[in-house]
Amino acid sequence: MNDTAISRAPARTKIINFISSYGSVIGIILVLVVFQLIDNRFMRIQNIVGVLNSSTLLIVMSLAMMMVMSVRGIDLSVAQVADATGVIAAMLIIAGKPFWLAIIVALLFGLVIGIFNCILMSYLGIPAIIGTLGMMFIVRSFELTLTKGAQPQILFTLPPGRTKQFFFIGQGSLGPVPMLIVICFVIIVVMYFVKERSVLGRHMEAIEGNVRAAYLSSIRIRKVFGATFVFSSFLAAIAGIMLVSRSGNAVPRGVETYLTDCFVAVYIGTLVSKRNKFTVAGTVVGGALFVGFLSNFLTLRGMGAAYKSLFNGVFIIAAVALGALQKNRK
Amino acid sequence: MGDRRQRKQRGGETMTEKKSLSISGLGDFLIRRGTGVGMIVILLALGLRANLFFALSNLMDVLKQGSILTLIALGLTAVLIGGGFDMGAGALVQLTCNLAAGLIISGVNPAITLPVGLAVGFVTGMVNAFLVIVVKIPSFVATLGTMFILQGLTTYYNKGEALTITRQPFFSFLGQGRIGIVPMIFIIVTVIAALMHYFFKHTRTGLRMYATGENSAAATLRGVNTKKYLMLSYCISGAILGLTGVFQASYAYGASAINSGMDFLIQALSAAYLGSTFSKTNELSVIGTVVSGMFIAALSNALIINGISNQQISGILGTILVLSILLNVIKKREIGQVTIF
Repeated sequence: MNDTAISRAPARTKIINFISSYGSVIGIILVLVVFQLIDNRFMRIQNIVGVLNSSTLLIVMSLAMMMVMSVRGIDLSVAQVADATGVIAAMLIIAGKPFWLAIIVALLFGLVIGIFNCILMSYLGIPAIIGTLGMMFIVRSFELTLTKGAQPQILFTLPPGRTKQFFFIGQGSLGPVPMLIVICFVIIVVMYFVKERSVLGRHMEAIEGNVRAAYLSSIRIRKVFGATFVFSSFLAAIAGIMLVSRSGNAVPRGVETYLTDCFVAVYIGTLVSKRNKFTVAGTVVGGALFVGFLSNFLTLRGMGAAYKSLFNGVFIIAAVALGALQKNRK
Repeated sequence: MGDRRQRKQRGGETMTEKKSLSISGLGDFLIRRGTGVGMIVILLALGLRANLFFALSNLMDVLKQGSILTLIALGLTAVLIGGGFDMGAGALVQLTCNLAAGLIISGVNPAITLPVGLAVGFVTGMVNAFLVIVVKIPSFVATLGTMFILQGLTTYYNKGEALTITRQPFFSFLGQGRIGIVPMIFIIVTVIAALMHYFFKHTRTGLRMYATGENSAAATLRGVNTKKYLMLSYCISGAILGLTGVFQASYAYGASAINSGMDFLIQALSAAYLGSTFSKTNELSVIGTVVSGMFIAALSNALIINGISNQQISGILGTILVLSILLNVIKKREIGQVTIF
């Protein structure tokens, strides 16, 4: 009994090691291959470009969420802020303001909410899960009051001269590449440098590991922790503008469903990196793109909201359970 | 401030002298009783602007409107006391609400829906406990996952349509009936709250659940099997939430297709945390939760009577949630990291 266990052990640990470092990537690819086998429309170039284009919003919002979650915070207001900024931008355009003013005001709104979140969570010490939940409802209330009870703000019926520049963000393209993908790519690169290559990023990692130790090594934890909330709301504001510019109308409470997708994206994203960390690459590739392809597949097959929530739930639990399994083994 | 130092020096004094209220003790009194005083002042101010609020029939309506919310908050309190967390509380209520409505429409005896709701809730609690304790998934993520699954099941079950119950006098009596002037659903809340209060404050199991929630490591050192008590709190919470869904179906004459799980959750969380500000050590309590749940219902009611629209109420509730938790944490002032994932 003992002998066999010992002789088998190295082979088994090798396999487990291999699975634990690459298993999730293999799993993701396998799922996509299965999707292709079920429905051969899935891997057509047209479809892929479409998915990439619509995933850009989720990528930006997931990056926002990832920033906060990487310091063990959470931002439940992220989708609501995107929603509200979209509505604000749309209302300003409808009111006849120039497009740059609409964008700046909308971004400022995101920034202000971010600073509020920063003060509440980091300087007053409210647990992020409660504070951002409260903020989500406050922003929703604000937005509903602004639109007099969730009236959609429709832009595409305006004369094209007034909306042309604004729509360029979401519908135009730079050469052959859609503008949304360009913006998204720029954001990914910037966030990569902030998160993985800057002092702030390193301080964030220290806080993720151990706040007390980070504090003792004279990292200003309140500033770093609070900064992630500002980043998060600002990115959410950008996502909101991108969305409204793409679809040409802003329906209040229309973006709220993105919140849950963000969670799934960020948690699946942790599996891609070796030590289950929150990384930019993981969130983009493993998370947001995978979630984008998943919901695209469900749409292609004509499966509705019920299946989407079920899949989301199963994938979250599976992703984190796998992570917990790897941790326990070490 | 000076008063507090004085009181420390006079440590050995009798209770009656400590309780005596001088002017310098006013600040201390406000800290201890601030939540209650604040609630009364707010409601009085709003009620004086619109006298209709104080009519007996309106007050009874408030009790009725607040009952479902209070029940959800009680379910959440049970799991919070044991040191867990449940993102899926609202989603579970919605699922059993839809199940109950669907079963009654398909001709099942309404009396059967109660045990069905209870069982579904209990099983969900078990699943949550399994994920948190055995698989060791942090409670926030685990319950977020089950929340999605519950939502998916609900949408799958009702196919996105509202399920309306008609002509069920017995079943509707649970949620809408009155005994004399008192709403039946409020009597149910009172009974459940009384049972829970006795269980958590006066039985060995309940007190050990408190110990588990407050300091798991210390409880383990004292020989408490923390895993067992955490599991128990998930199961109790699940059972209460499952039952609540059935009452919700009765109260609302069926189940709506609108996904309001998150709204339920925020109100219930507000009630539970607001309730904990009653105690000096910010301890969650059944009675605090009931009072706060009813306060939130009364506040919504009073605001609507005062002509404030429905859209602003969620924002006001969000503000209350943030302020009530602020009262709890302002002294410690750590950074708001979430330790549950």
